[in-house]
Amino acid sequence: MALPTDVAARRARACKTFLEQAHAATAAEGINPSTLHAIKLKLVAFAKRTELFPLADFAMPEAQARNHPLLVEDNDGYGLYLTISLPGKEAAPHDHGIWCANAAISGRERHVFYRRTDDGKQNGHAIVVKVGEVVVEPGTGIVMADHDIHSTEVVGDRPAIGLSLYGYALARFPSVTWFHPEYSSVRATPSRRHAA
Amino acid sequence: MARSAKTFQVTIRNSGQTIACTTDRTILQAAIAAGIDYPYACATGNCATCVSKLEEGKVSLLPHSDAALGKAQLKSGLTLACRARPRSDVTVNWLARAGG
Repeated sequence: MALPTDVAARRARACKTFLEQAHAATAAEGINPSTLHAIKLKLVAFAKRTELFPLADFAMPEAQARNHPLLVEDNDGYGLYLTISLPGKEAAPHDHGIWCANAAISGRERHVFYRRTDDGKQNGHAIVVKVGEVVVEPGTGIVMADHDIHSTEVVGDRPAIGLSLYGYALARFPSVTWFHPEYSSVRATPSRRHAA
Repeated sequence: MARSAKTFQVTIRNSGQTIACTTDRTILQAAIAAGIDYPYACATGNCATCVSKLEEGKVSLLPHSDAALGKAQLKSGLTLACRARPRSDVTVNWLARAGG
C-alpha cells in the first residue's frame, strides 16, 4: 500500500508531466479548437487516475465549493486545480475570459452552454440563449474557449470532484463576465491580470 | 402541502431603503426587483461582489464557494446578498461597488 507521502509525490510528478503534455499540445499550433480538444482528452485521462487524488488529501469545502491548487505555473502559465463542489452548488452563466478544461474524478456536474445574441452596446445589458447541455461525469469532460459561456450545477447528492485546467492561474484571471437571463443583465468581476 | 413563504423587511443601509423580501427569495433578488442598484456580478455565491455586512437580523444562505465567503468572514458578520434569504427583518450594508 502506498504511503500518503508517496501518493503526494507521485501526484506532483504526474501534474508536472500533464502540464508538459498540455504545453506540447499547443506548442506548434497555439490555442485553437483542435488543440483544446486534445487538452481535454488528456485531462479526462488524467482524472481517471483516481489513485492520485485520494479525498483524504483534499479538505472538503467550508461552504459548498473549494479549489485546491495542484500545480500553478509562474507568470502567465497555466493553473491546474482539483475542484470540490457539494450538492446544490451552482454558477450562473459566465465566461472566464480565458480557455479552460474540466474533467470529472467523481460525481456529476451539469454544464449548460449559452450564446450571447445582443450587440453588447448597452452597458449592463445582455441576452443569452441556451445552445447545449452536458453532464460531466467520470470519463468525460468539457473544454471552453476564452469567451464561451456556461453555467454549472452539481447534479445528485454526491460532491462533484474534478480537475480544472485554466490558461491562467485563478489568481491572475482576466475579468470574468456573468450573465443573468432573468434580468437580461451582464456584470463583470475586476481583472486580476495586474497580479501577474 | 408546501408552506407559503413569509415576508420580512430588508433595510439596505447604503440606499436608505426598506423593501419586502419573502423567505424564498434572496436579498439581491428583492433589491433588483425594487430597482436598487445593489452591486453584484455572479449572483450565485462565487465572486463576493455583493458581500455585505449583516448589521441586524438573521438569514439562511444558499450554497456558495469558500472563496466568496469563508467561515471566518461569516463569523465576523458578513454575508452574500445573492445567497442570503431573510429569516427575520434584516439590515444589510454592501461593502463594494460592482464592476461591469
